[in-house]
Amino acid sequence: MAESGLKKKGILAELFSTFFSKSWPMWVGGILLAVGNISLFIVLKPWGASGGIKNWGDSLYNSIGMDLSTMGPLLKFPYSVLCIMTLVGALAGALLSKQFGLRFPPPGELLKGFLGGIIMAIGAMVGVSCTIGGFLSGWPALSMGAVVYALGLTLGTWIAVKYLLFEIEKMPKLSSGKTSSFLTAGKGRGGWQPILGVLVIIGGLIIAFNYTGSSSVLAWYTAIGIFFGLVCQRSRFCIVRALREPFMSGDSKPAVAVMVSILATMFGFVVIKFMGLRPAMMWVWPHFWVPAIIGGTIFGIGMTISGGCVVGSLWRAGEGHVKLIAALIGFALSAPLVVKYISKPFLEGLPENLKQQVFLPDHIGYGASVGVFVLLILLWYVFVKWNERTGKFSAF
Amino acid sequence: MQGDQVLDCKGLSCPMPIMKLAIAMKKLETGKVIELLGTDPGSKDDVPAWCDRTGNSLLEVVEEDDGFTFFIRKE
Repeated sequence: MAESGLKKKGILAELFSTFFSKSWPMWVGGILLAVGNISLFIVLKPWGASGGIKNWGDSLYNSIGMDLSTMGPLLKFPYSVLCIMTLVGALAGALLSKQFGLRFPPPGELLKGFLGGIIMAIGAMVGVSCTIGGFLSGWPALSMGAVVYALGLTLGTWIAVKYLLFEIEKMPKLSSGKTSSFLTAGKGRGGWQPILGVLVIIGGLIIAFNYTGSSSVLAWYTAIGIFFGLVCQRSRFCIVRALREPFMSGDSKPAVAVMVSILATMFGFVVIKFMGLRPAMMWVWPHFWVPAIIGGTIFGIGMTISGGCVVGSLWRAGEGHVKLIAALIGFALSAPLVVKYISKPFLEGLPENLKQQVFLPDHIGYGASVGVFVLLILLWYVFVKWNERTGKFSAF
Repeated sequence: MQGDQVLDCKGLSCPMPIMKLAIAMKKLETGKVIELLGTDPGSKDDVPAWCDRTGNSLLEVVEEDDGFTFFIRKE
């Protein structure tokens, strides 16, 4: 472990190990994701994840003759490209740091991943967003629906943590049994991983470059997707942890990382919206407040059971966790059907005043709106820090 | 090194290893050692952080072919 200090490494080897030998602090990931998110908004629109994965499912169903999609072909819709590239970027990050490995969990865990994915799809489609569109990008967009959505996420997470504790105590068989892993890099093995990682990055950049001929938007979404995946994997950026740890271990670090990310993103988003570079109503979803609270709660349950939100599943899938691959499959397969049979009828039947788009600056101006969101983050900070010290809400 | 109790968390991803560890530690006598087997790269950060926060001792981390073995003593 400490050999690096004794043996002098080459300058480039030292640079490499700075990025790929230890995990980055999660808050560093938060700031880098904010940079990517602001860039994405300048290119087209802010970061979102559930629409992209739904489009994976749409494309699959369309390819077998069902007609469900309205968002366009898989490789032409920016958000499905973004999601694919996030997975690819995470794969590269895992390979470069020799953390890749196909890890098959016990069958019960696989089932939890798949079901968690379906529950997330219901939450995302009913709530019109996920942890990204309805929280990490939604708060910086100054959307009040996103505040309600985050409350729902918190409630759902709390419920699902109770369930997981119950499950481990009463149904330990579900998370034990035969497991296997392949292609892992153990001690003295896996020297091929970093080499393949470099090739994956180069391949991704070639794809981005190829898009420049037809669509500069898709070129940037490809490049930023790789960046998102790489950053998430290296910093293990996880919104589930941010919301879950206060009810579990009490650790406040993941929550602070998300706060940092939201604040940094808000800086850019407010400038973009205020200056009229992009429409002010972007990422202000029509879900205030009923769809947001119901969808948020359901999504919170799903992501806690599977162990990653949509983006969390993407980067862990890239790292080789088959449970999270199952979550993505569950989400992609169910989302198009959820829209058709559950969320579309539900949202259409809901009175207008229960599904509003509330852009806070329309009501109190930009200055006060930023103040409100900063205050909300401060309250959240005080809560997680106080809870970390007292353990009031923590299970252990 | 050998633990008093083996906790097999191979194939499991976050949060299952830490949840299982915390629950198993609750039932363990002080001074006894849990041997946790894990394959999630996240555990390499999570287990030491959890021990730090809860005041239990991480005696040793052994790198295996497909993951890690952690030896944790209840304090």
